[in-house]
Amino acid sequence: MSGITKQTSLKSSPCASESDPPSIPKRRQELLKWNGWGYKDSKFIVNKDNHVEFTGERYQLSGHTLTLLRDWMIATIGISLDHKTPPQSEITAKDMPPPVRNEEFLADMRRTNISHTDDCQDRLFRAHGHTLAEIFTLREGRFKRIPDLVIWPINHNEVVKVVELACKHNVCLIPFGGGTSVSGALECPANENRMIASLDLSQMNKILWVDEKNLVAHAEAGIIGQDLERLLAKKGFCTGHEPDSMEFSSLGGWVATRASGMKKNIYGNIEDLVVHIKFVTPQGTMEKSCQVPRMSSGLDIHHFILGSEGTLGVVTEVTLKIRPVPECKRYGSIVFPNFEKGVACLREIARQKCAPASIRLMDNEQFQFGHALKPEAKSMYTNFMDGLKKFYITRIKGFDVHKMAVATLLFEGAKKDVDAQEKRVYEIAANFGGLAGGADNGERGYMLTFAIAYIRDLGFEYYVVAESFETSVPWDRCLDLCTNVKDRLHRECKERGIQFPPYITCRVTQTYDAGACVYFYFGFNYRGVQNPVQMYEDIEACARDEILANGGSISHHHGVGKMRKPWLRKTVGDVGLGAMRAIKEYIDPNNIFGNQNLMVGEPEDHHVNTVRNVVASKL
Amino acid sequence: MRFLQIAAAHLDICKMTDQSRNAWIIKDDPRLVSARQKDFFVDILDDRRHTSDLAWSLRQRDEPKYQYNKPRSPAEVKGHVLKSDRVKYAIEKTMEETGKSLEEVTKEAVYIVDEMAHNLRVGVIRCFAMVLVKVMKKLFERIYVNEEAIQNVRAMLKEYPILLMPSHRSYLDFLLMSYVFYHYDLPLPVIAAAMDFMGMKFFGWLLRNSGAFYIRRSFGDDQLYWAVFTEYVQTHICNGDSPVEFFVEGTRSRTQKSLPPRIGMLSASLEPYFKAQVPDIMVVPVSMSYDRVLEEKLYAYELLGVPKPKESASGVFKARSILSENYGNVHIFIGEPKSIRTYSIGQISRISHSISPRYIASLTFREQALIQKLSYDVLLQQIRNMAMSPWSIIAAVLLQNMDGISMKELLKEVDWLKRQASNLGAYIDWPVNESAEAVIRHNIFTHKNIATVTEDNVVELIAEDTSLTQNQDPLFTSAAQEMMVCLYRNQLLNVFVRVALIAIPINSCVQETMPLSELKAHYSLLEKLLSREFIFMPGDAEKDFDVALASLTHTCGVVVENDCVLVKKSINKYTTFFSQMFEPFLLGYWAMCRYLLSIEKGSHGKPLVKLPKTISKEAQVLSAQLIRDGHVKRKEILSLDMMSNSLQALYDLGAVHKEKREGTSYMYPNLVLLSKLTEDLCKFIDVPDLPRTTINVDTKTVTVNAKL
Repeated sequence: MSGITKQTSLKSSPCASESDPPSIPKRRQELLKWNGWGYKDSKFIVNKDNHVEFTGERYQLSGHTLTLLRDWMIATIGISLDHKTPPQSEITAKDMPPPVRNEEFLADMRRTNISHTDDCQDRLFRAHGHTLAEIFTLREGRFKRIPDLVIWPINHNEVVKVVELACKHNVCLIPFGGGTSVSGALECPANENRMIASLDLSQMNKILWVDEKNLVAHAEAGIIGQDLERLLAKKGFCTGHEPDSMEFSSLGGWVATRASGMKKNIYGNIEDLVVHIKFVTPQGTMEKSCQVPRMSSGLDIHHFILGSEGTLGVVTEVTLKIRPVPECKRYGSIVFPNFEKGVACLREIARQKCAPASIRLMDNEQFQFGHALKPEAKSMYTNFMDGLKKFYITRIKGFDVHKMAVATLLFEGAKKDVDAQEKRVYEIAANFGGLAGGADNGERGYMLTFAIAYIRDLGFEYYVVAESFETSVPWDRCLDLCTNVKDRLHRECKERGIQFPPYITCRVTQTYDAGACVYFYFGFNYRGVQNPVQMYEDIEACARDEILANGGSISHHHGVGKMRKPWLRKTVGDVGLGAMRAIKEYIDPNNIFGNQNLMVGEPEDHHVNTVRNVVASKL
Repeated sequence: MRFLQIAAAHLDICKMTDQSRNAWIIKDDPRLVSARQKDFFVDILDDRRHTSDLAWSLRQRDEPKYQYNKPRSPAEVKGHVLKSDRVKYAIEKTMEETGKSLEEVTKEAVYIVDEMAHNLRVGVIRCFAMVLVKVMKKLFERIYVNEEAIQNVRAMLKEYPILLMPSHRSYLDFLLMSYVFYHYDLPLPVIAAAMDFMGMKFFGWLLRNSGAFYIRRSFGDDQLYWAVFTEYVQTHICNGDSPVEFFVEGTRSRTQKSLPPRIGMLSASLEPYFKAQVPDIMVVPVSMSYDRVLEEKLYAYELLGVPKPKESASGVFKARSILSENYGNVHIFIGEPKSIRTYSIGQISRISHSISPRYIASLTFREQALIQKLSYDVLLQQIRNMAMSPWSIIAAVLLQNMDGISMKELLKEVDWLKRQASNLGAYIDWPVNESAEAVIRHNIFTHKNIATVTEDNVVELIAEDTSLTQNQDPLFTSAAQEMMVCLYRNQLLNVFVRVALIAIPINSCVQETMPLSELKAHYSLLEKLLSREFIFMPGDAEKDFDVALASLTHTCGVVVENDCVLVKKSINKYTTFFSQMFEPFLLGYWAMCRYLLSIEKGSHGKPLVKLPKTISKEAQVLSAQLIRDGHVKRKEILSLDMMSNSLQALYDLGAVHKEKREGTSYMYPNLVLLSKLTEDLCKFIDVPDLPRTTINVDTKTVTVNAKL
């Protein structure tokens, strides 16, 4: 590759309140796995004793051996340690499509001094998010289309400049934040013949100012969740926005996908947190003229931006609400005799509007999974199950270990408020047969959601494909939806001749006044299956059909991207889709922001695209 | 396994006699066919004749349970219904509309649910089972069940809620269904039963405690009743408490054909799937075939219009005399289950129910259309899976030889007809190890009240039932006798109806050739006309025609060249026999037309309106006159069922209009269309030349014009 890489020497802008180096380097692959989730140093491996161990030092689980996990995987999903599927060791330049070069654009870019590169590994890293299909392609195949250039602007003005040039030379731009998309949103459309430039905002990672009077902070869109919280914490504040991907996902990404954080009960989802957005489009910058808590000014332009998934423009700066760091943070858990009782209890807690910062209800399968993640006896983990067995199961009969469900709780606030809230929640739970299950159990539940992304990579090593998907649903249909979607998944697996029992589990992960968010994990052992990714996607499509038939939504927070395009028309109707397209037509008539997510193009194309875009070499 | 037991039992004998060619064979005679195991059927009474009924009825039963079932008692079910959103909503609505207090309306709801609810109890079931098995053993020689399907049902019960949809030709249907389920350790079904049983003192109680729940015959727009009923049925399905059983025909088919489906109950039962309350629902069609129907005589009289006695306890005791009679075999065929999910793939989108509470909105038109189609599919499957008794074939032949037929001739004819039925896909229950004559004699013996073999080996229908002659019109007494034979022939008609509707126009054609397009037009007219009489899948006429024509050209000598039927070559024994089987219907319909054409005009030239019942009754009077005058021989056209079917069909075709007056429907003919239809009918059959006659109907005088 010719060295057109240009580095700008500016370290941080003068108004930056912090001067930490960026947590994520430009060459992401130096810190992060190129073909899996998270940091290179952290992964689940099977060690010499044939036990699962988590490497590294970053996490609570790091360096621990999880003695129960191997047997759980063998028993639940039928893996065998003798049947491994290691990934291809690398994808090199020869396996990548050569870049499409728009020479005039490149010439103009060189004149701007904005950092950019056509290095093939940098391009590859920005060709995907973290859907099953994408990671599987990294492990087993190659992409038909990847970005032709990666650009690292360092401030709003540079973004404006890049967008101007892209418009001038008809170059397709795909904004890239943390790269954690699970909707195929980052995938390059295979039918895109123009040059595709990935607009990586990772270097725009500064908090520009903090306004303590109004309790808002203004930050650049590329800042990732953990940095935002850490930097604010130094000043005694937090945003409280904690999506499960917060280690890697970025502020701009949250806005562009309508993200949701696990503590939304206190802090709200991204749409509640946002006060102001600066949005660069081919027509110019779109923003409001004031920084007010609310206004009546016709259609809310923020709502064009929230969830636009990179189809209209790119978010460069965001003003967010902040809160003082809470005095007290406490985990908890409730054990219910069954999932039904748990759902009823969550519904009641939502009705009484006394939900803690986070409350999640795991079904029995997930509870068992969480249990399997318990490290070998170390003092910090009280042996909850044994305690439970001794105390609850024997003394209070009727708790079936194969039926019970666990709610995990996270309380935040002033100590006395937390005490009061805790008391009230456990009182309500008692009415539904729920028993307090201890803080450790709760904490482990939250750990599961961070660990599971890493565990999927372990599954890949042993013929397991797995993915999560989510939805939102009215309360009265919540239980039926869980039951029916699981049943549908089981049935589809059976009818497709999958040889091993699939792993299917769900949790009610958010509660609202009018409904809940339900999160599913689904994976299966694909030994003997011809095309596991295609099969997985077909089955997940069936599950999505079932979700919609059960009154659920296309997505609660993952977004539509390309994967869920087929359900968008059903969701918003012809007029809704037409209106979205009309906005696109005005803001971006030449489809500069051409990732073809959401309302752009017909969903029918998508399926063909993904199939075309992925050439599985091994299968 | 059972076979092994038998084998073991016979082993000793075999060793002693040692006549077999080798040790593998224990019965050295190819003709010794097991009657216990026949094709896919197994006789479930056989066990009961050898082991203790008491132990059987008290034994430990290992019932499969629906995976998402929460065990609850019948009382808890009632409580759930009353507390349900749907019933609460209906109570509120009723209060608004009637101004009654909450207490009053709730009381009504409680009354309804008490009246409706079953009280399925194991104890009662066990006692009932013991009595029932004794009765069954008395009544029947064998009860055959296709056992493989039972295993299937057993596995399915655990996965999905089940709807059992048996054919309905006898009261025994649901008793037998429960008996089979008891026998195979399956959970007893709850059965939607008509109110008439409830009035019966002991029997009503017994059935209620064995799983029957009672539904009023019509409850039109009583929304409270509707809500309680819907919730009651649906909660059983959603929780999978028991299989839910009901008859898609709505009532017993007195004619022994099948009745057009009623979809109310089916819609209510399938709604939980469309509203995504259950992952799927399995619909299981069941075919019950009787060698001899318990109610044969009752039906015959009912069809003629002698009112049926209200079911009463004393009626059941009278039924004791039946116990002394032999009713042959019963065949119960449990059909291929249909998954409503699979059935509706690509047909409907359940999303439409997402934006309102599930207890309020009703089903969409597309869903209703789908349910309608499913109901026909279930009926057609029931028909396909019927076991055809030899007697049905004998009856069909006898009806075309009313003056008797020699045994030799009968043998030939029956064998011929049997082959035709078999070619058209019917399962004929014909014992392979007996001579044809033995089979026929045995069947005639079973039906000795209907037919007899004279000393000179002529088979004759018994002319008249002597026990009932007093106070009865002799015409009707002999008609009833003929009607009984018709009931059995009717079972066979479903097999032949499609080919016959092609054979009739060919057979009555006076041209040299008939273009297929014309034949198809005739077929479709006849199908529409007889759509109340036989089951045709709406919209499938084209397909049915093609298939039927293919069978006719393939095996029955109908010749088609250049898209024309060569009429002369095609008229043969096949077409003639098939046509004649169905001619009585066309004759009956013609009589109805003639009667309608004769209805007096009112003051403004518009025909007088009449109640449909009255029209049927008066048309029957006309038919009776035609028979008495010797113009017509077939007495089955006296059937009121046929009359009301024809009236309905004419209404469907637009030849009769309906008018609502004070909430009651009246009918009057559309003279133009009707006379056109009558002319068409006359082309298909020979009709008597009617003289101008005057008939006395009650006190009114009806004039029948010979020609229009």
